Amino acid sequence: MGAELGNYKSCVSARSTDKEILRHAQDGGIVTQLFGFALDEGIIDGAIVAATKEFAHKHPEKAMMDNSNMEFHEPWRPIPVVVTTKADMLAAAGTKYNISPNVSLIKEATRSFGLDKVGIVGTPCQMQAVRKGQLYPIGLRDVGSSIALAVGIFCMENFPYQSIIQLVEDHAAMKMESVRKMEIGKGKFWVYGKRGQVVQLPLKVTHKYEQPGCHVCLDYVANLADVSTGSVGSPDGWSTVFVRSKIGDSVWGKAMAAGCFETQPIEKVKPGLELVTKLANEKITKNKKTLEERATFGVGKALRNPYI
Amino acid sequence: MSKVVEISPTTRHEGHSKLVLKVNDAGIIETGNWCSITPVRGVEKLAVGKTPEQVPKIASRVCGICPIAHTIAATEAMEASIKCEIPKDALMLRHILQLANRLHSIALHDILILPDFYIPGTETKINPFTAEEPVRSVAKRIQRLREIGQTIGQISGGECIHPSNTRVGGMYRNCSEQAKTKMYDLAKEGLVLAHQQAEFMIAVIRNYHKRDFVDVGGMKVALPKNLGFHDQGYLATHAFYGSSSLEECPSWDPNRFKEVRPWDWYMGEMTVDLEEPKYPIGGTTKIGTKVNPQMEACTGIPMYDGQPVEVGPRARLVTYKYFDEKGTQGQNVAREMEYQDCLYEMIDCIDLLNPNGKVVADYIPDGDGSLGWATNEAPRGTDAHIARVKDWKVQYFSMLVPTTWNFATCSKALEGAPWQLAEVIMRGYDPCVSCATHMIVMDEDNKLVAQKLIQ
Repeated sequence: MGAELGNYKSCVSARSTDKEILRHAQDGGIVTQLFGFALDEGIIDGAIVAATKEFAHKHPEKAMMDNSNMEFHEPWRPIPVVVTTKADMLAAAGTKYNISPNVSLIKEATRSFGLDKVGIVGTPCQMQAVRKGQLYPIGLRDVGSSIALAVGIFCMENFPYQSIIQLVEDHAAMKMESVRKMEIGKGKFWVYGKRGQVVQLPLKVTHKYEQPGCHVCLDYVANLADVSTGSVGSPDGWSTVFVRSKIGDSVWGKAMAAGCFETQPIEKVKPGLELVTKLANEKITKNKKTLEERATFGVGKALRNPYI
Repeated sequence: MSKVVEISPTTRHEGHSKLVLKVNDAGIIETGNWCSITPVRGVEKLAVGKTPEQVPKIASRVCGICPIAHTIAATEAMEASIKCEIPKDALMLRHILQLANRLHSIALHDILILPDFYIPGTETKINPFTAEEPVRSVAKRIQRLREIGQTIGQISGGECIHPSNTRVGGMYRNCSEQAKTKMYDLAKEGLVLAHQQAEFMIAVIRNYHKRDFVDVGGMKVALPKNLGFHDQGYLATHAFYGSSSLEECPSWDPNRFKEVRPWDWYMGEMTVDLEEPKYPIGGTTKIGTKVNPQMEACTGIPMYDGQPVEVGPRARLVTYKYFDEKGTQGQNVAREMEYQDCLYEMIDCIDLLNPNGKVVADYIPDGDGSLGWATNEAPRGTDAHIARVKDWKVQYFSMLVPTTWNFATCSKALEGAPWQLAEVIMRGYDPCVSCATHMIVMDEDNKLVAQKLIQ
């Protein structure tokens, strides 16, 4: 296909040079390190990231908490928060594998949080929403110009929170509270318990729990982000990084000059871009089918293909 | 013999209105009618049956210039009806929000009135959009002041137009420490600019009123020294904010207020027999056109103690600060004097705000159907909202907005002035016409009078 990885200026395999970050991070600690650096340098003055219930309870003023969303504070339910320090960033690090409505905070970040330069991390669809909000700022007055750094993460599909409960509590037979880390890699869904237990589920099992809305998405590697990153393509503990925009290039360049990351050329690592391309094509081919099916769905009222 | 001249539409203010003037042979106004011709909004009717949460949001949509005053007044009218006390920090956020709105509105009004005035010492009228100095830096300063006002409004109110953060029972969110600092910095910056801007504007206003003649569309018009004088009273409910209780602030008593219909107040059907094609922009209405202010006006005429009153910056300064300048000059100067006051008060409020404080009341009652009212000092005057809430449903809602109060008063103030300067007098009130146009008047038999207008 050729366009499956989007436009990018450079691509490397990287990991943070900060041991503390690596200890908390999902893979290479790219998002945490990059935002931490941008905060230190004043490139952003706060970032919207996905945190956990514990974090939101400890810092209610950093989350969008009012009476209406109190009941959502369940274990491993991602809660979007605005962080302004590296310490908070570390406390919120790690992938949660279900939907974190980060974009819902983007306006409030520029309002009662008082940010002028916002950093946001999100999945490809969230990056699309952010860019659309910048192009058509309906209901997002003054927000577009405040977005200083958008970091995208690779995404094959996402799970609703109820699906994660099913996968962890039924299939992996583990209590949500006792989970230390979740991961998708090597064709399996991994659940690591706090007491050391490890459960692996074949991805075949997880498919039916996916969010159906994800099956129309043709973007695997966050084409619209400034910098996009994910574990696919790099060895364990490393992440693949695409630097896409001018902003992304400038921030990444500064971070590299400051020694935030150690990198390897993507051509030298295994499995490398080949796997990223393969998975991106898989996602696009699979989801195009859904789009075609939807084109004939309904009585003379086909659902519109969002890509044309 | 008197002649009738009509200026329609009036320009450089919000909304649609017109001036119907009966003038003598010398062109001096004998009777002036300033009427709103913006279509009726019907907000009060929409409000009935809605929840108290929804109504302030709907009320705010009546206009985009002072939606903050409408939101706060409507919210506090609901709170007064259900008898809900809000936390101190929520009140501080509302104060900051309200002052931010006033700051932006004064700056906006500067842009609108500047083309009437001259650069002091010259015969050049000010074009605020010119690239030449000294006007260029004034225009930039005005823009920055508006930006500051709107940004502070966004932080404290969630949105500077139609604020989303206010709610019955307080505010949805307090702001962060960082946001508090940002507001403080902005207010400090604004204060310096406001001092400069007020000084400039007052110099320009005084220079204009010292002149013997002014130019209107190429016509040389004698400028009376009593331009815009009237003998009506003043009404203000607070120097900055507002009130929702007679005990707390004994300023606005709903029992002393009465509203009459436009056909009891305005002139009847007449024919235009004076036309001036040179009048900016595009001349006045053509000779022979029928006008009927009684039926065309879309507002009620509110009275306080049986007479129309003036509301706005001068009313506030007269009531609370012993200000004594009359006429259009006094009005414009008073507005400029509010610039600094507004920022000093804002800085005090930001100082008092605790970002970690609670902003929602612990208990929000459902309402027992008792009448609640709240006034809020909008940039252009007292905005009074009256509500009755029972079992979390709004049974009755009414808005008495600033420009409604001023319509009748301004009509009085037009008398004795050359008709060419009628718009200058009108602009002194900083009119915001669309919110004034929402009349639902019940007569003695509880019949809806406004239907007569809609027919």
